[in-house]
Amino acid sequence: MPPSNPLPPKENALFKRILRCYEHKQYKNGLKFAKQILSNPKFAEHGETLAMKGLTLNCLGRKEEAYEYVRRGLRNDLKSPVCWHVYGLLQRSDKKYDEAIKCYRNALKWEKENIQILRDLSLLQIQMRDLEGYKDTRYQLFMLRPTQRASWIGFAMSYHLLGDYEMAISILDAFRTNQMKGTDDYEHSELLLYQNMVLAESGQYERALQHLQKFSSQILDKLSIKETSGEYYLKLKRFKEAESVYEDLLKRNPENVMYYEKLIEAKQLVDPDEKVAFFEVYKKEFPRAIAPRRLQLTEALAQPVFEKLVDEYLRHGLHKGIPPLFVDLSSSSYRCMILTPQHAGDPVSAYQWLEEAQAMDTADRYVNSKCARYMLRAGHVKRAEDMCAKFTREGVPATENLNEMQCMWFQTEAAAAYKRLQQWGEALKKAHEVDRHFSEIMEDQFDFHSYCMRKMTLRSESDK
Amino acid sequence: MTRAKIELGDVTPHNIKQLKKLNTVVFPVSYNDKFYKDVLEAGELAKLAYYNDIVVGAVCCRIDTSENSRRLYIMTLGCLYPYRRLGIGTLMVEHVLKYVEQDGNFDSIFLHVQVNNEGAIDFYKKFGFEIVETKEHYYKRIEPADAHVLQKTIRQTPSVPLLNGTVPHAKTNGHD
Repeated sequence: MPPSNPLPPKENALFKRILRCYEHKQYKNGLKFAKQILSNPKFAEHGETLAMKGLTLNCLGRKEEAYEYVRRGLRNDLKSPVCWHVYGLLQRSDKKYDEAIKCYRNALKWEKENIQILRDLSLLQIQMRDLEGYKDTRYQLFMLRPTQRASWIGFAMSYHLLGDYEMAISILDAFRTNQMKGTDDYEHSELLLYQNMVLAESGQYERALQHLQKFSSQILDKLSIKETSGEYYLKLKRFKEAESVYEDLLKRNPENVMYYEKLIEAKQLVDPDEKVAFFEVYKKEFPRAIAPRRLQLTEALAQPVFEKLVDEYLRHGLHKGIPPLFVDLSSSSYRCMILTPQHAGDPVSAYQWLEEAQAMDTADRYVNSKCARYMLRAGHVKRAEDMCAKFTREGVPATENLNEMQCMWFQTEAAAAYKRLQQWGEALKKAHEVDRHFSEIMEDQFDFHSYCMRKMTLRSESDK
Repeated sequence: MTRAKIELGDVTPHNIKQLKKLNTVVFPVSYNDKFYKDVLEAGELAKLAYYNDIVVGAVCCRIDTSENSRRLYIMTLGCLYPYRRLGIGTLMVEHVLKYVEQDGNFDSIFLHVQVNNEGAIDFYKKFGFEIVETKEHYYKRIEPADAHVLQKTIRQTPSVPLLNGTVPHAKTNGHD
């Protein structure tokens, strides 16, 4: 409650109703209650009510008025944490995260232990990668709510992100032993894997491996255990053990390209001959798998045996009618004709061949996109747009729709095409569009922080 | 070994160029734009044959009502050379026969074959087609220029002779 400017009971009740309306998104009702308070001349300049009125208006899309009311409210009551918090929320909704952080800090000056403001502040700090600030805030939340799971996790994570792995590990240890008792659920399992990841990041693979083995019965994600331990064995140069882990994994999924690569690493094969022979073994072991056949081709590229292997691969694929074969090896005559001029630096014939390929099946989006890309390489921006228009939403210009879909390959290629044409303005415009997509992607992360915390998917949270 | 997938599909503006390409490769005669325009309207009378999702054959027919009878004329039916003897042609002929049967109002099915094309003649004989006539100089630009008329009778219509000896102008068959 405002220390500086308290409302009498009747108006105070109304004010509480404004807050409730805001939480329940009943903005119109909220404005009605605000009006009831503000129409009384005694409270016409009541800061917190004005601020709340502004915040409510913002939710109704009336941004300018919102700023006006919130600022007026704040001026009338500079010592109110509510006014500062509201101003912070308004700025946050406007993506002005730095400004919002300042507001929250002011709010906390007048009410140090407000959990809601501290939480909001921590989210902004992690979004802005203010890791030191994040650690301080998580510490306060931890001290205020030591029994809550999120307090521990957030606290540990703040140290992890700062690179203080030991501290993070011991917080997680303490949490596991004291707070999470007798739970074998998914969240417990995720927490263990997160702790394991922190151990690995600190470079202590031996310890991480032991940790993984010790808790393997409590970790539900069995695939992760296998993959991670394989990784650790490789790091520790315990190749024999790594080998048997990846052999097991391949039995689980003989199409996983990474497993073959890691197995080669474990077997310490470097010579292309050896690798070709290696894949020969797995072709026989998994006759239905495509990965060993395909990977063998790449290894055999400079070898005399290549021709025989390609022939075998193509016959096999064509016979079974494996559609990606086309894409995979660029085997069709059209694509070969395209690749040759493309690699010979003749973008014009490259796009002309592709245009013909495209005309063969105008419902094929892959060829359509490829054709547009090559048109751009050949400097035909307008044609490329028209080509793309065959697949974009009708009634809207293709470029607009492509921008809306964050179709960055097109925009990047278009920017490069304009640059080659020395149309600097157009090139810059495209570059800006791409840049904006990245800002949007960053902003989209915001809602993800609290989600990860809630769901305990901490490994993906820290990957961000 | 899994069996290859063979199926028929519609001719649409999206894939008509594949039909053109196929016909250029398979047949020694070329067809004009009108031919392809009509094909787009032909519905079940024009079909592409797919082998593992790739176009390898096609059949195009039209309904012929000359000479006081209602006959189905097979304008083209062909398959890329490496995909022959896999049952693709049979599938297309069966499709045509089924169409004629379901319609129930055709007197016969007929087509032209170059006289030296023994493979094709044997193929159609399997389905009950017979040589009913030989037209000299039927083709303009290829050798031999003579063509057999192969016909399969669906119902006997004794009142009207099916072929009265007049040589239809090659243009009616869509050749350029």
